[in-house]
Amino acid sequence: MEPLNLAVIVKLEPDFSEGNVSYKPDGTLNRNETKSTLGPHSGIAAKAAFYAKVRYGAKISVCSMGPPWADIALQQAQQTCDADVLHLYSDRIFAGADTLATAETLKTGIEKMEGKMDIVFSGHRASDGETGQTGPQTAWKLGFTFIGNVISYDVNLEKRTVVAKCLLTLNGVPNVIEEIEAPLPVFLTIDPSYKSNFTTVSQRIAFEKYQKEAYERARNFKQSLKVFNIDELGVDKTLVGLAGSPTIVYQVERIPKGKATRQAEVFDGSNSEHIRKVVAKMREALSAMVIK
Amino acid sequence: MTEENYRHVYVVIEHIDGKILPVSLEMLGEARRLFDDFNARYSSNEKIVAVILGNNIKDFSKELIEYGADAVVCADHPELKDLRNTIHTKVISQIALDKEIASRIEPDYAKEFKKPRYIFFAADSIGRHLSSTVLVELESGLASDINKLVIHDMTVTHQIKTEGKPTLFKKTLEMYRPDFSGFLWTTILCLNNTTPSIKREYYPQGCSIIPGVFEPIKPDPKRSGEIIFYEPKIEENDLKVKVLSHKIVKSEVDFEIRKAVVSFGRGIKDAPDENIKLVVELAKQLDAEIGISLPISKKLLPASQAISSTYMIPARVIGTSGSKISPMLYVAIGISGAMQHIAGMQDSEFVVAINPDENSPIKNECDIFINGRMEDVIPLLVEELKKQQQVVQAG
Repeated sequence: MEPLNLAVIVKLEPDFSEGNVSYKPDGTLNRNETKSTLGPHSGIAAKAAFYAKVRYGAKISVCSMGPPWADIALQQAQQTCDADVLHLYSDRIFAGADTLATAETLKTGIEKMEGKMDIVFSGHRASDGETGQTGPQTAWKLGFTFIGNVISYDVNLEKRTVVAKCLLTLNGVPNVIEEIEAPLPVFLTIDPSYKSNFTTVSQRIAFEKYQKEAYERARNFKQSLKVFNIDELGVDKTLVGLAGSPTIVYQVERIPKGKATRQAEVFDGSNSEHIRKVVAKMREALSAMVIK
Repeated sequence: MTEENYRHVYVVIEHIDGKILPVSLEMLGEARRLFDDFNARYSSNEKIVAVILGNNIKDFSKELIEYGADAVVCADHPELKDLRNTIHTKVISQIALDKEIASRIEPDYAKEFKKPRYIFFAADSIGRHLSSTVLVELESGLASDINKLVIHDMTVTHQIKTEGKPTLFKKTLEMYRPDFSGFLWTTILCLNNTTPSIKREYYPQGCSIIPGVFEPIKPDPKRSGEIIFYEPKIEENDLKVKVLSHKIVKSEVDFEIRKAVVSFGRGIKDAPDENIKLVVELAKQLDAEIGISLPISKKLLPASQAISSTYMIPARVIGTSGSKISPMLYVAIGISGAMQHIAGMQDSEFVVAINPDENSPIKNECDIFINGRMEDVIPLLVEELKKQQQVVQAG
């Protein structure tokens, strides 16, 4: 049986964690003051790939499109999934790309990787762009079966199939979990609630072994790293960056404050008489005979 | 080629377990409002085309027309019973490009029709992915999570697309999306490249629409419309993907059955674990379900695993990217009141906010504003609630 050949797509994103993120007084992100890091959803995608490595044995390649300093995102991902190969697609021409043009770059990169891919992983969505489109669009360009919202999965190495559990979150109806079977190759986007289950002793031993290896590799990550500019990648210049983007950001404005819909009565939180009144009003609201 | 070759708005309908999802009717409602105005302004007769795929779904067509569709394209096939991305993407794309369908929708433009002008999907677990793959197949642009749409002629200057020359783009769909903070609105346009070296026409202009934002129209049983049955072309190879099981999961969070909801936001940040415990105690006293603001669900604040996996989860988010609720009592703790949160709670009967900042927008959205830090205020509230409860029991 051939070992699995896996790719993970990751993204360098603003670090929204407390202490690293900086907001302007008006509540918007201060990008200059905010640090960058491996996006949390990208991290989960790397974790999902690591599951296959521990469970089935696999070669893992991680790739990203971004500025030269996005190599730290690749390093962090390598530490998570013990990647063998790191690819960074970095060129000024790629900048300003919308999801369609980004997908073209990523697709070209993945097709350039050694051997045919069995599974490609990506995060649910980026925490800055938040479109959730790049994964499925890359999948479609690759011609891989796309399975989204994956909360767990397993591979059948003999049949060369994957069975994935997916969580569908819908409005106005209860959520649904579907189990989908598909022949490899597949493209999975990993849900934030994804969990890897390592149950047997041998899996836990493999887990620790690869984790140590990952740590060593990530320390010397530049040895695994290859950076591609547009010519090295060999992608059609008119299909990437701004030229290949159907959509543009036309303008960014502050969302106008809505008119006050209620007239608030202000109470002092340290005044016990005020607290007594507030509680009385809360209880009144709860006991009101409102027909809804 | 002109924009006349691209016509109508196609709205991709979602249904699950025999029910059309509310967001689909909301999209038809917004399409109706946009196109009544569009057709009047441009003296045209372009249509709202509902596209629905599934098995035994013929009965849905009438409902879609009542809710504003001029035409329904119905692909009814046993193999479309389950949602499989590859098959659904191909069938939606077939429908979007089908000239026969277009000629039935608007016979006068049968020859000219090339692709839809606009296409709408829902920004949920189904539509988000389908919109992405369909728009790659149709080779056009897509904006996600939209909560406002405007159509008009625009003159745009873009360094790459128009070589820096002011260029008129007729009937352009302005797609507004709130950013993650809820404070900024980004307008996305899907525009042709007019620069000769990269000349390209990008239609349909696609977007996914946030559920719960737009109102459906009042259904009118007297509305009439064209129902078109489409025989999908399904490839043998695509049938290898199988949906093995489909289970409805009961959510661990249920806002509907409680009279009160207590929510917290980033104001817990000084001591997340301790502060969440305070919120839980208050919720217990009020017999309330616990909600959160969107940033909390991103698990960026340090909290213990047990607290974080119980309370900092997407199922508890109140707002446009979570639940829209209308309890009798809503308590917002340490929530500044970004628009995206307000949209989820503004229908509450009575709103109490606890916040140390009197300038935060939540003050405009509440009936009672308690000025103070949650650490100080909640224990007092809990104590007073217990006291007043006892009085009632004693009486």
